[in-house]
Amino acid sequence: MNYKIYEITGEYATDADSGQQVYDLIHPALLAGNSVELDFSGISVFASAFFNFAIGQLLKDLSPDTLNKLLKITELSPNGYSILKRVVENAKHYYSDVQYQNAVDTVLEEYAASF
Amino acid sequence: METISDRPSHYDKLFRICHEIAQLPENCLDITIDFNYCEFLGHTGVAFLGGLAHLIQARGGRVSFNWDSLRSNICMNLAQNGFLYHFGYGSSSWDGNSIPYRYDLHYNATALGDYLRYKWLGKGWVNISSGLQKVIADNVLEIYLNAFDHSQSEIGVFSCGQHYPKLEMLHLTVIDFGIGIPTSVCSLPQNVLFTAKEALSWAFEPGNTTKQNGISRGLGLNLLQEFIAKNHGNLMIFSNNGYVAIDDNGMRYENKDINFSGTLVNIALRCDEQYYCLASEVPSIEEPLF
Repeated sequence: MNYKIYEITGEYATDADSGQQVYDLIHPALLAGNSVELDFSGISVFASAFFNFAIGQLLKDLSPDTLNKLLKITELSPNGYSILKRVVENAKHYYSDVQYQNAVDTVLEEYAASF
Repeated sequence: METISDRPSHYDKLFRICHEIAQLPENCLDITIDFNYCEFLGHTGVAFLGGLAHLIQARGGRVSFNWDSLRSNICMNLAQNGFLYHFGYGSSSWDGNSIPYRYDLHYNATALGDYLRYKWLGKGWVNISSGLQKVIADNVLEIYLNAFDHSQSEIGVFSCGQHYPKLEMLHLTVIDFGIGIPTSVCSLPQNVLFTAKEALSWAFEPGNTTKQNGISRGLGLNLLQEFIAKNHGNLMIFSNNGYVAIDDNGMRYENKDINFSGTLVNIALRCDEQYYCLASEVPSIEEPLF
């Protein structure tokens, strides 16, 4: 399956909401073992929030090996790739380190429950 | 309104005014802004003043500007950057060294991206390629995303910029009147004892965020910090009573005496491609991504 990100975000792929839209499209396909191509042609500007939601959270339940095999990124600018690489490193740390993730999420839940 | 340039001590004047206005009871918010003692009003002062006016109005007050007290050079600048027009006086803005005053109640990627690319960077005064303009826009949009994601500013976000041709620098100030970064960071149970400067330092660490909800986040400020350091620009953030400055001398965090309920970010970039990172610093696309 090939998805043109421009059709979802327009020229600016920056915010969490559009990242979540991309995730919702590709996550079921990847879970089912299908190949997915994300085509970034036409996108001028990126921000980490978009990649956190679109791609970073795939590491919740898909392994790096699976994603390297199934997910193809095309036409991404060097700087977009640079931001994505940082997002992936951050997500790998967050999702692979259960203790770290639990610690972060627990304090946030306690905080939310205190209202 | 007094003289406001880009010195930190001048910013303190703005925070003091904001604090004084915040102390006023709601039935005493009929405020006239007079410019008799203002000899210069930099872009930060413009953005702050716009925000302050909206803040007073949001509290049910009324703001009037004594435009006749403006010096002619300031009046010209405020006309050029669209501030006068925004507050119902004069005609719309025109091109010059001022980057338009801007007010955003909500995050709008296209509007803000276009503002940065075409009004801030793309006016021919920055000697950089269009590719690099996009890279800068990537990084500066992180400032706006932080403001909209975390500040809880009910009156939105205010910006204004300036090109300084002799210094070959391009400045942009982004201000919100929300809860502030230290308040947000210290609201997490493990951070309650942080001072303001410790809270700002925590916020700059990659992966640290006050919003997680099962999603890995917290890179925006860190990316911005790296961008500024690599490219010899400078960044100042004032938030609550915390202050951080990033420049060629590194990062400096301070606790300040004056508390600002909100966050003010000023970014200054050099106007020449030679100061920016090389293509060779970009990670190889051939390596596996994950």
